[in-house]
Amino acid sequence: MRADVVVVGAGPAGLATAVRLAEAGRQVRVIARGNGFTHWGAGAVDALGRLGGERVERPLEAVGRLPEDHPYRLAGEAALRDGLDWFARFAATAGLAHAGDPERNRDQVTALGVLRPTCLLPEPAAQVLPEGSGEPQGGAPVDREGSGEPQGGAPVGRGRVAVVNFEGFRDFSPALCAAGLRGAGVDAVPASAPLPPWDHARYFSAVELARAIDDDDFRRRLAPGLARAAAGADVVVVPAVLGVRGGHEPWADLQRLVGTPLVEAATAPPSIPGLRLFAAYRRRLDALGVGWQFGFPAVGVERDGDRVTAVRSEGASREVVTHCQELVLATGGVAGHGIEANRDGTLAEVVAGLPVEGFPDRTAFLGERFLGEHPLGAAGVRVDAELRPMNASGSPVHANVRCVGGLLAGHDPTVEGSREGVALATATRTAELLAPTPTPAT
Amino acid sequence: MTPLLETDVVVAGGGVTGVAVLRDLALRGVNAVLVERFDLGTGTSGRWHGLLHSGARYAVRDQESARECIEENTVLRRIAPHTVEDIGGLFVLLPGDDEAYAGKFVEGCQASGIPTEELSAAEARRREPLLAPDVKLAFAVPDGGIDSWALLRSMAADAEARGSRVLVRHPVVGVERDGDRITAVRVHDQVAGEDRLIGCQWVVNATGAWAGEIGRMAGVPIRMIAGKGVMVVMASRYVRGVVNACRKPADGDIIVPQHEVAILGTTSVQVDSPDDIAVAPADVDRMIDMCAQMVPSLASGRVLRAFAGSRPLYQPESEDGGASDGGDTREVSRTFTVLDHASRDGLGNMLSIVGGKLTTCRQMAEALVDRLAERMGVTEPCRTATEVLPGADHGPHRLAAPLAGVERDGAYGELICECELVTRGQVRAAIADGLTELEDLRRKLRLGYGPCQAAFCAWRAAGMLSEGSGGDHLGGLERFLEERWRGQRATIWGDQARQALLNHAIYRGIFDLRGAGRPDEAAAAGLPRAEPVGGG
Repeated sequence: MRADVVVVGAGPAGLATAVRLAEAGRQVRVIARGNGFTHWGAGAVDALGRLGGERVERPLEAVGRLPEDHPYRLAGEAALRDGLDWFARFAATAGLAHAGDPERNRDQVTALGVLRPTCLLPEPAAQVLPEGSGEPQGGAPVDREGSGEPQGGAPVGRGRVAVVNFEGFRDFSPALCAAGLRGAGVDAVPASAPLPPWDHARYFSAVELARAIDDDDFRRRLAPGLARAAAGADVVVVPAVLGVRGGHEPWADLQRLVGTPLVEAATAPPSIPGLRLFAAYRRRLDALGVGWQFGFPAVGVERDGDRVTAVRSEGASREVVTHCQELVLATGGVAGHGIEANRDGTLAEVVAGLPVEGFPDRTAFLGERFLGEHPLGAAGVRVDAELRPMNASGSPVHANVRCVGGLLAGHDPTVEGSREGVALATATRTAELLAPTPTPAT
Repeated sequence: MTPLLETDVVVAGGGVTGVAVLRDLALRGVNAVLVERFDLGTGTSGRWHGLLHSGARYAVRDQESARECIEENTVLRRIAPHTVEDIGGLFVLLPGDDEAYAGKFVEGCQASGIPTEELSAAEARRREPLLAPDVKLAFAVPDGGIDSWALLRSMAADAEARGSRVLVRHPVVGVERDGDRITAVRVHDQVAGEDRLIGCQWVVNATGAWAGEIGRMAGVPIRMIAGKGVMVVMASRYVRGVVNACRKPADGDIIVPQHEVAILGTTSVQVDSPDDIAVAPADVDRMIDMCAQMVPSLASGRVLRAFAGSRPLYQPESEDGGASDGGDTREVSRTFTVLDHASRDGLGNMLSIVGGKLTTCRQMAEALVDRLAERMGVTEPCRTATEVLPGADHGPHRLAAPLAGVERDGAYGELICECELVTRGQVRAAIADGLTELEDLRRKLRLGYGPCQAAFCAWRAAGMLSEGSGGDHLGGLERFLEERWRGQRATIWGDQARQALLNHAIYRGIFDLRGAGRPDEAAAAGLPRAEPVGGG
């Protein structure tokens, strides 16, 4: 095998990097162990949700307050801005339009009824919930800085919210979601909508339900029950399962049929919005002629001096060697399988054996509180301003290796709420470096 | 302060010994109340490896314990088959092990009445395919697995059905004495937040490793040795039956398959307090490295968590052998002792039971209640060895039973906890029974024990609680997640590190739970923080 650029990893960073490089005319090949954080995330684009534990209202502004070795500082605020703009165009072209403004964070409704800060939201999740008439009932954390300004394109007023589950779907509890929303000051009541007869009546996952909802006829049979469950509500919150194969048409269609705005709440994995996005990236890569080796991890590299000349990966029957001029590692941090955390407290980068700072012993990996912060979550490869991995003395280890996304040291994507933003900013910076005159998205 | 209750006997301690005493008393028609500081089985009874001893582990050095074990092994299989997994056990001889010890082992088993069968290396590996290839020979013994929570629940249910009372979350905080007698036991009602008195004629101290604390309140010295044992939970079973090293008991010489996991045991170190149950990474490493000598694939396996328990070791006043602080407590006998504080200390109406082990809990209770009945003038004989426990008609515990049930009912989509095959129906029934906390659901149903460590079941179960109560249950969810976390930090690397960060990405990342700003409802309500308990 041979390619100009090999991108290892197919999470938010690898996918965006591969598309951007291919759009700029580079010949790209993607090698991936499996699915990444498109499938495991909240299905939104986080840029910077929290800083020092406090909610961030203006993510681009807050970038300047980050430490100098943060990926945003290395890639530059312009790369973040450009990455978000590019993503918005890409997603809209793919039928997955996102709402939101890189200048200002907004709320994403989650299945627990907690409102999480994020930057861009897929349209089905973007409707702002109306305020309730009473005070918040305690419980869910509401610590928005009280700007009083509307948070997006949708109108804000007072009204009622129905939180509706599809009968038998076990990964969403309308009672729990509604109780959480009431804690955040939303007038929410739980309800349940029957599913029309279908093939998976005994056992179905979010993916199967979403596939069923892709079907026009199924939606037509589903809508009346959903409308009854939603009766009297101004907005309806449902689990994020409204179609998975294509764009947002199933959501738009169902919303028309029901006659009330529908809001998809983020659930635990798998993320259906993330699956939609993954499929859109995949279609785009196919259209751009990008080769794709999926399900086989990269296990090593070949070197010539300070350059990597090839990537070795597992194959169906034997190891595959892919020669390349440039290598982009988008393998993720410890969570994404890019870094192995060893029993003795050391860390190892799994593809090229890049230097990663470890810990004196493994008890230092993690914090006292599960919901607190964990040093292991911020572990990663230190890079220079051109995203090249550095050794302890600060010099690049390889001239032609770049690291993007969760693999990078200096940030904790979960705690900061920065996963997709860092992916897009570093993908953008990499495209600038490896394909100096990128062409715009289609 | 008005008495909460009047009863004949107060039994302090809600582990297997105390509950066995309660049941024995109930079967003899004696009115009794059991008080427990947390929940049943939250002390040593829930913090052990789950081995139904054949007694072979003690056959060389402590034949009294060995005989007690094999007798009770037989009794428990008869009265509580639903709690026993009949998996058998092997003692394996590895290169470097003393062959002379193997000879003493066989003799000791013979002398103690424990049947053994010598197996060639090839036969041993046929039975246990993952055994090290260099195993020299093995002995098969009637070890088994036993679910101590199931045993506790059955014994408690039987006692309650016969009129006994069980008060959990009622720690003993003092006793009222009138001369040489205790007239009442003072307990703290954790839910109501106030002290109460239980008037009584007799007191039984069955608090195991904590017996010295009750002794202090009653003014009698009881010298307990807290012997900490560390155990490591692996994410799959590895072995079909129990695997022991055929050598003088030492760290990391036993592997017990239990439900969907294997438990590696154990250390035996004297510590200052039975509440010292901290686990150091070095302990975990040692368990794995030692057990991997017997089953090499453990070395690269996935570790779920580690926990420790405090053995209730008793040091009689007349002996000054035993271990020094920080020393190995394996020298202390595993047999048990009934202390009648009337003859011993001049306290007329209290008895303590110390030492022993889970396998012999029924026999311990029998010995104590025999003594107590004699003092009380009760002539009913002990019937606990013949009366089967409620649930016994379910037949022996089989590992595959939950899966078979799910397959029979086609209940895949009903699974709330995929790792432990807990269905929506089971959770719903437990909530209908009055359980309101995820922690209680965990102990009752094994919810959240598996490899994902509650990533997917915790919020589903919180949703079901919310459907009943209408509340948001976010505080309870956060508490549950933090409790699960406590047993994990010494065992996180490799795949389990990825799992931990994925779980963090779900609960903190997607659901934005941070815990910090939420009041600790348990503390506010005066509830104890539930102990993390073993078993997976």
